[in-house]
Amino acid sequence: MLGRRQPPDPDAFAAEVLAFLDPLYATALRLTRNRADAQDLVQDTLVKAFRFADRFERGTNLKAWLYTILHNTWRNRRRDAARDTVEVDSERVEEASSTSSGPAEIDTPEQILLRDTLDADLQAALDDLPEAFRQAVWLRDVEEFTYAEIAQMLGVPIGTVMSRISRGRRLLYERLSASHGSARVGAGRR
Amino acid sequence: MKESCRRTDERLTPYADDALPAAERAEVERHLTACPPCRREAAHEEGGRTLLRERSSHLKCEALPPGLRTRCEALARQYTARRHAPSWRAGLARGVVAAFAVLIAAGLALSVATRRSDTVLAAQLTADHVKCFRIFAKDNSPGLDAADVEQHLRDEYGWDVRVPPSAPEQGIQLIGARRCLYGEGTMPHVMYRVNGKNVSLYMLDGVRRPPAELTGLGYRSRIWSRGATTYVMVSSDSGADLVRAAQYVMQKVQ
Repeated sequence: MLGRRQPPDPDAFAAEVLAFLDPLYATALRLTRNRADAQDLVQDTLVKAFRFADRFERGTNLKAWLYTILHNTWRNRRRDAARDTVEVDSERVEEASSTSSGPAEIDTPEQILLRDTLDADLQAALDDLPEAFRQAVWLRDVEEFTYAEIAQMLGVPIGTVMSRISRGRRLLYERLSASHGSARVGAGRR
Repeated sequence: MKESCRRTDERLTPYADDALPAAERAEVERHLTACPPCRREAAHEEGGRTLLRERSSHLKCEALPPGLRTRCEALARQYTARRHAPSWRAGLARGVVAAFAVLIAAGLALSVATRRSDTVLAAQLTADHVKCFRIFAKDNSPGLDAADVEQHLRDEYGWDVRVPPSAPEQGIQLIGARRCLYGEGTMPHVMYRVNGKNVSLYMLDGVRRPPAELTGLGYRSRIWSRGATTYVMVSSDSGADLVRAAQYVMQKVQ
């Protein structure tokens, strides 16, 4: 019997899965940027989670397991919808942004940006990031998964995960700094 | 980019996350002290990280859309019901008498489970009906051509289904078709407006269910089968319009 997986207790498993409904939906929404698609994605994720419940190893991270299903489902759906275009697009943006130096000197201190950035602006800037970067920074900085967990969820090496997080964080900061700077000038505040 | 800058740049993420071994951390810090461009990159990395982390609770705060929790809870109930289903093999092992008892019990359980699964199915489809009409149908949605809808379902999802067309003389207008998720997978969801009322037609391929009529959450569902397909119609209208629409659809899909 050694090495055999113990099936989860059905009632406890179902309750634990349902407890992650809110974060799953928030993540699906940032991923799809569309409420209807996010709903479908969450529901599809739960259908698969319950169908393959026996494959979940008790005692391991259920949240990470659910997020892996969610990202795989989204990836397959995107692949079905538009073969190749997503991957090519993400890779091109990844390359382009790694060679660009971003806006020139920005003197806005981080604290001012942090204080003055509205949640809605941050959300919009996040939605504007290329998908690969958006996924990576969301999973790392909002959901606080480890690099290894994210690598497994997205099916990419840890080095790629770190590079996407890095590009995502810097792009986000640079775009917000730029728009913050121009808004201040445009509005003539202070 | 200089080699030392490239090496530093690669490590700015674990540096910001405080995930570098002490020796590497010290090396990065030495480089940053001496290199303003890398210092600026590190500040941007740290800035993006801090923004996201300080606002993470706000970013995560998204209200669940109406109906999503209900549908997910229905999925959970189906899963637990399947897992708790009694094993008839264990009963058989106890002897002939016990075997009969188990068989009778299993028969009863099956009929209850079927009825219950009709209820679960109707509840899921009712929630989907409400969601789809709220999100995808406009008051002035134009009527669609059935052949176009059939083509769409074939091209998008690989479904080869017969979609009953609009019947203006009966006040029936075909306004859309989508993919619907339910406990066992996906199926076509065809949307109609019948004399101004929203009516959904769902088609479960490879499933036969006895005819049933259920009411729940103020909506009525009619279930029937033709060949190897089960049809479910859902509407808020329980009157003559739904009956007429159901008869019309039954006739067209034969």
